[in-house]
Amino acid sequence: MSIHEMGGVEAPADTAHGRHAKGPYQPVFVGARKQELDELLTRYPSKMASLLPALWMVQHDRGWVSEEAMAEVARLLELTPAYVKGVVTFYTMYHQHPVGKYFVQVCTTSPCQVCGAEEVVDAFLRHTGCQELGVTSPDDKFTVIEVECLGACGFATPVMVNEEFIESVTPEGVPDLLSRYK
Amino acid sequence: MGYPHKPHARETTVLSQHFGDMDATTLQGWRKRGGYVALERALGMAPADIVNVVKESGLRGRGGAGFPTGVKWSFMKPGDGKPHYLCCNADESEPGTFKDREIMRWTPHALVEGCAIGAYAIGAETAYIYIRGEFTEPIDRMEAAIKEAYAAGIVGKNAMGSGKTVNVWVHRGAGAYICGEETALMNSLEGRRGNPRIKPPFPAVAGVFGQPTTINNVETLVAVPHILNEGAEWYKKFSRPDNPKSTGTKLYSVCGNIARPGNYEVPMGFPFRDFLYDLCGGPLPGRKFKAIIPGGISVPIQNLAEAEASLMDYEGFVAQGTMLGSGGVIVVDDAQNLVKFIARAARFFAHESCAQCTQCREGTAWTTKILERIAAGDGSAEDLDTLLEIADNMTGKTICVLSDSCATPVVSGLKKFRNDFESLIKKKTHHLVPAVA
Amino acid sequence: MTQMVNLTIEGRAVSVPAGTSILEAAKAAGVLIPHYCYHPGLPVAGVCRMCLVDVEKAPKLAPSCATSVAEGQVVRVHTEKALEARQGVLEMLLINHPLDCPICDQAGECELQDYTFQEGRPEGRYREPKRFNPVEDFGGDVIYVANRCILCTRCVRFMDDVAHHPILNVSERGDRAVIGKFEGEDMTHPWAGNVIDLCPVGALLSKDALNKARAWELDRAASVCPNCSQGCNIIVEARDNTIVRMRPRPNDDVNKYFMCDHGRLNYRWLNRRDRVDVPMVRQGATLAGCDWERALAEAGRIMNGKRVFVLASPMLSNEALFLLSEIVRRSGGAGAFRVTTGPEAPLPGVEDLSLRADRAANVRGAELLGFSRRDKPLEGLGAGDVLLVADEELVGGDAAGAAKAGATIVVGTTLPFWARHAAAVVLPIANMSEEEGTFTNLRGRVQRFMQVKAAPGFARPSWFVLGDLLGTVGSTVSSSLPSEVFAALAAARQEFSGLSYDTLGLRGAMIAGAMAEASA
Repeated sequence: MSIHEMGGVEAPADTAHGRHAKGPYQPVFVGARKQELDELLTRYPSKMASLLPALWMVQHDRGWVSEEAMAEVARLLELTPAYVKGVVTFYTMYHQHPVGKYFVQVCTTSPCQVCGAEEVVDAFLRHTGCQELGVTSPDDKFTVIEVECLGACGFATPVMVNEEFIESVTPEGVPDLLSRYK
Repeated sequence: MGYPHKPHARETTVLSQHFGDMDATTLQGWRKRGGYVALERALGMAPADIVNVVKESGLRGRGGAGFPTGVKWSFMKPGDGKPHYLCCNADESEPGTFKDREIMRWTPHALVEGCAIGAYAIGAETAYIYIRGEFTEPIDRMEAAIKEAYAAGIVGKNAMGSGKTVNVWVHRGAGAYICGEETALMNSLEGRRGNPRIKPPFPAVAGVFGQPTTINNVETLVAVPHILNEGAEWYKKFSRPDNPKSTGTKLYSVCGNIARPGNYEVPMGFPFRDFLYDLCGGPLPGRKFKAIIPGGISVPIQNLAEAEASLMDYEGFVAQGTMLGSGGVIVVDDAQNLVKFIARAARFFAHESCAQCTQCREGTAWTTKILERIAAGDGSAEDLDTLLEIADNMTGKTICVLSDSCATPVVSGLKKFRNDFESLIKKKTHHLVPAVA
Repeated sequence: MTQMVNLTIEGRAVSVPAGTSILEAAKAAGVLIPHYCYHPGLPVAGVCRMCLVDVEKAPKLAPSCATSVAEGQVVRVHTEKALEARQGVLEMLLINHPLDCPICDQAGECELQDYTFQEGRPEGRYREPKRFNPVEDFGGDVIYVANRCILCTRCVRFMDDVAHHPILNVSERGDRAVIGKFEGEDMTHPWAGNVIDLCPVGALLSKDALNKARAWELDRAASVCPNCSQGCNIIVEARDNTIVRMRPRPNDDVNKYFMCDHGRLNYRWLNRRDRVDVPMVRQGATLAGCDWERALAEAGRIMNGKRVFVLASPMLSNEALFLLSEIVRRSGGAGAFRVTTGPEAPLPGVEDLSLRADRAANVRGAELLGFSRRDKPLEGLGAGDVLLVADEELVGGDAAGAAKAGATIVVGTTLPFWARHAAAVVLPIANMSEEEGTFTNLRGRVQRFMQVKAAPGFARPSWFVLGDLLGTVGSTVSSSLPSEVFAALAAARQEFSGLSYDTLGLRGAMIAGAMAEASA
């Protein structure tokens, strides 16, 4: 399941549903997704091993991992919802609540810190209209957070916007970068 | 998308020779460049013979531990009737390190080939490549390469027509540095929280899914096809004449306050001084190097004298008060606040602690809080003693070495740059004596 | 033939089977290595790092719970290095731990208090704000005070590996980690309350026991759970002569380290205030209190020459039931009992451990001593028999049977309503928490229980009263001590032969032939 197949830079189709969900929970693993999960299960000797990939599928389709989704995945993989929740809360990339249409992650770990990552964060906060880190902008478009080392230290400052990985971001380049996201 | 620099004349580009070349990422392009010749030969060899060649070459784990790869492979007992597994550790999250992402972006087929050879050599039919969740482009390119490889029958049930089964799958991580620890990686692969395991049992005895497992770094595995093609003797030539224990080339990821950051590939034993000033272009205009960390944030900080005296191999860095580690070279110049740098490193570890061991769970956060307080100007002399005692409590007492890694920058920073800390510490007035009006 | 390993721990030579952990070997040598996350009833975790010991020639301290013994090892627990390491762990555990001792139920039985007092720093060096997590109701009897949690994960491992009901998890990472659960999945599992005992600190507490007593105010007695026929070994704890808590006591052969919530929480009936506490004889329409001599004499007069039919409670001890069976035998009568039943609830991770259908402690004892199990026990009563009701209730369906009796004698802890009009003599006895005795569990294990509180008023131990009652019909069973009654029982009944209070100890022993056949 490649990132492009997962949707690349485009915001997941269902985030609006996730944020302002009305009506009962719609299962993720139906149709094509169910088939993908079934294929995935053949790669490992245990069902539990498909947990992280299954959660990625949920996050792609819904923009975040809700408790109902955790229960659905638990049922399919013969785990308890509490167990799934324990895993979800361990891994920082799974969102446990809806986020902005574009989720911006800026690396600020030490190597990037000495290359001016904090100014990049400030620039993002200013130009997105997000008042604080982790708080979605009033137009629901952006959420900006600091993250730990993104593994592109020589291309400081690296930034992720949803699934897109962008290197060498400077404070000056932020407005231009943001203009790509409608 | 970032493109790597053109190789410096003094680099030895073995693993990195196709960096920046999009054509090398395709199966056809890889074949044109000599790809999969090694795999085909390997599948016709006895696994034990492959292990011996790798042993002879002196290849050591490039993820940070530097354990001899051939020896590690030889721990996998053949014919035990159990399914064996190869896990490729592509979780690259050690701050300062960004070599594996380049290998996967530009030469994904090299990793497929390396994994396939490695799996076959240890008697495994399945190799999982555990790639950190943030590496979206490397994941993309690896998935594409694997798809091509399956379609062309290079891997799968009848790998390259050998009759042997070799499966290679990508498994995406979800944001946890600790999953780069080999036993935590196995737990994460199994669908658990990324908690490191107690050893024994060792992975080669009971690893992923309880079965014999070998975990190797990306850079380690992609060296294997070259070793098979050119021979162990060729690989051994890349070493200091007076140190046969470190052989081959190493990709160093250079970052921080330096003129030309990026990945550089040099043979073992290369002089670090030349590396920093010549290949990487030296400090930024008007600045001077201050502190250098050659192997990722977890190895001791060097002062400039130590760095300039270092020879770049496992033993050479140990001789200068640090370790080769992952080869992530972080350079800090004299314009930086070193205390803030170390505080941010501690914050990194506090964020990534899995929470099992008391010393790590509490100690990383405590260390961070004290350092941030000092950096903000609200520290005391006692804080420095406390930091060292906490660091001592965090060293050698936990399931894995994340705890030790958090202590390392604190201890080496205080040892070699104590002035930086002391200059931030206020001279506290006595609170018990009222100020004279 | 298990291979044995010889090593030295704190200067004491010890020999244990290969594969034993250093921590368990230390126990065998009489050395306690401080620890939190390790528990013999749970899989090893090795996370608290408290049990680190100094092994000679080893470069690092070894986690003794997770390290197997090796031949010739020399282990030191109290070297400076090990003490410093433990002191470090204690300091780290206390940096975010709230200063709750004055209001925390665990005080006085808290392992964090104990080890800190023993080996910790006299004051902490933490100057930063402590992290805060709110209290959470986990459902069932369990409340989780997250701030106090030391993340030992015993509770998670119990629910996972012993209860096979993994509804507790560790959530988050680093110093944000807490024990969590999922909305809708509660700690209502029949064995969930064990996490309260397992928790070394006051993080997991019993709602039922919340703030009822301080640990050091409690009177304690080793006992056996009376609430079903499994016979879990327990400790009964009372304050001011009122039972406030029952907790499991380890017994490898019966309940390992656990007891079920049904057993644990059903102690209030032992505290009932509506007790009969004075002997009574009928005077016309009423029952009048009198002294023991008079009541016993009257009872003996009633039983003289008559058949006696005994309706016994399966909650009575072996001693009491034996004496009743002697009364039955001498008079040529019969005895029966009735058992309340309920759904079984096994603990999957332990062999042969379950909340049993028979909700009484001594069903097997009653059967062995000749009492018949009946839904309508009084059907065996002959017209004109003396009905001796031993600590039982009569229900509507019994009325017809009871009416056939010539006279009724009540021996019991409470005075049933019908007895006010029907009983000729009432003899008050202690309940099982107020006397010593033995029960026989469903597998034929005879186990002693001890007294934790005083019986009310003039009530006497059941074996004492029944010994006297037996004396009124001419028997000579010595009954000054419960051990004497048991000795008589062992001499008279082949299954109990060879057993004595001494051989039973506090672990119990099987009746003869128990291994060959299994009870329901």
